[in-house]
Amino acid sequence: MASTQYHEASAEPNLVPILDMVFQLITFFMLVINFKGAQIDMNLKLPVIGSARPVDTKGQQDLLVLNIDSEGALTVYGTPRDIDSYVASEAQASLLAARRNNPALESGDELPTTVVIRADRSTPFRLLNRVIQTCQKYGFRNFSLKAMNREEDGAT
Amino acid sequence: MAAMLDMAFQLLAFFILTFRPAPVEGQISLRMPPAQPVTPVQDAVQAGSDTSSTDPVQGLDSLVISVIPNDEGGIGSMAIGEGVVATLSGLNDRLKTILGDQASPFEQVVIQVGSGLRYDALMSVVDICTRQRLPDGQRLTKLSFVELPDAVAE
Repeated sequence: MASTQYHEASAEPNLVPILDMVFQLITFFMLVINFKGAQIDMNLKLPVIGSARPVDTKGQQDLLVLNIDSEGALTVYGTPRDIDSYVASEAQASLLAARRNNPALESGDELPTTVVIRADRSTPFRLLNRVIQTCQKYGFRNFSLKAMNREEDGAT
Repeated sequence: MAAMLDMAFQLLAFFILTFRPAPVEGQISLRMPPAQPVTPVQDAVQAGSDTSSTDPVQGLDSLVISVIPNDEGGIGSMAIGEGVVATLSGLNDRLKTILGDQASPFEQVVIQVGSGLRYDALMSVVDICTRQRLPDGQRLTKLSFVELPDAVAE
């Protein structure tokens, strides 16, 4: 009886292309991950203003982002902070940075940093005004009020 | 190879699950100095004459808009100076007329706001203001807010 010899064909698929593709996808997600998103409180419902347009500062402008909820509380990177002490410390940092270009700058002078206010649409003005006045007290003059230019999907 | 592919898929799953694109937000840029007393320009310092002043809007005349909230925090009533304005489109038309006049002395707007006005209602007024152009063609960006006491706003 002739012995039959089976030459088992290798059935392993070639995984290299799929691994290639998966790494491409991983690279894509790593590149588009938005680290700035951490300083944005996504729970806030911004007002909807038709003329609000995204402005690209090309990273040349110093920004101080303030998330204000409907109770007037300030949230920074998800942590509630005292408004006065936080703005004071940011003003100090902005002043030190601005002094590199203008050594004559004194405390209380106008600061080059733009304050970006992201407030909930239901925030009463008295609470918002407290934040604005605090910023003005420490020398901030340039403000940017955030709004959506159309209602978000699923928003009520 | 399979182990490496496993790990790669785990990483991919992580990135897909945590991917949350930031919404495209618009903004209205304003220059907001602290509110000052509204002074007629002929009684004030000529704009630009005091070079030591760090406040560029001192001495400029201000147009005053009052916004009184209703019980829900929406816009109850509005006025430009003493003249009552019924709607936002009416406000837009009046501002266009006032600020578009070549003889207009106004270069900044002071918005007197009732303390209970909601932010979205305020932004709709700010939106109307920032759409206006001054006689020199520049957009109006100098705004100040003044909080009206509750007693006045009622």
